[in-house]
Amino acid sequence: MKRALSGLRALLVQRVSAIYMLVFIVFLLAHFLFNPPASYVAWRAWIMGPVVGIAIPVFFAALLAHAWVGVRDVILDYIRPAALRFAALALLGLGLMGIGAWVIRILWPGRG
Amino acid sequence: MQDYEIELASTDRMLLDVIVRLKAQDDSLTFRKSCREGVCGSDAMNINGRNGLACVTPVKGIREPVVLRPLPSFPVIRDLVVDMTRFFKQYHSIKPYLVNDEPAPDKERLQSPEDRDKLNGLYECILCACCTSQCPSSWWNPETFVGPAGLLQAERFIVDSRDRMTQARLDDLNDVYRLFRCRAIMNCTEVCPKGLVPSRAIEMIKLAMVKASI
Repeated sequence: MKRALSGLRALLVQRVSAIYMLVFIVFLLAHFLFNPPASYVAWRAWIMGPVVGIAIPVFFAALLAHAWVGVRDVILDYIRPAALRFAALALLGLGLMGIGAWVIRILWPGRG
Repeated sequence: MQDYEIELASTDRMLLDVIVRLKAQDDSLTFRKSCREGVCGSDAMNINGRNGLACVTPVKGIREPVVLRPLPSFPVIRDLVVDMTRFFKQYHSIKPYLVNDEPAPDKERLQSPEDRDKLNGLYECILCACCTSQCPSSWWNPETFVGPAGLLQAERFIVDSRDRMTQARLDDLNDVYRLFRCRAIMNCTEVCPKGLVPSRAIEMIKLAMVKASI
């Protein structure tokens, strides 16, 4: 994780994920404002549609990556003792993985 | 903290003039100075909460009482004199010299006027450490974050058309700490007594990294 998301790559992941999330949230709000689903079934069909069905998992992946880079930066800035820093990073990683598993369980109930 | 009272003399133009006269009152007062015209960077200190050079800080209009402190976050040796070892260690880590293994030409390595212009706003740094000492990211990670002064110098050699180590310089800065601890707080730009913009240099390094990675 450290090698995969450090330096320039972390910066780009943070920026790209932020732009994606912003665009997606605007799209989501616009959809619910101008074309709200009439029922749970209609909402579910929309969620599982070919475009939104991909866009939502991508949104949560972007959210988790964005949160990892951002909170990790705060931890690296403020927590100096190595052991405490490692513990905080481990806690953050585990927390985000837990949230990821929860998202998978909600989006794909049969597989979670 | 120690209090001094001193009447301004007609010859006092800059804060350093007053500090030099204070030294005559109390010869135990310790500070660095050399060129007394904003070129050597020796007399960097925290003046009323803001880093600056005493030799280019006019006494006229300065808020009184004037509170002088050594550069924040640097180990104090005595009074206004700080230990710059860590600062220069970071500076040396960016290899602040041209690297070019190509055979030397008969006279000199020439630059076009356009390429020379790219060094403007970078080469003027006098390494006074006002920026790095006022940078919260440098306070938090002084051993691992290069700091604004070092990064400004890094950009000075990255953009130099005569240097042949550009990619290695970018790779050296591309980790979690050395460059990317900068949080764009921009205190560096705010306090630079030479009016330089280290935060822009840092952005230009990031941009060079993006271009090099495409």
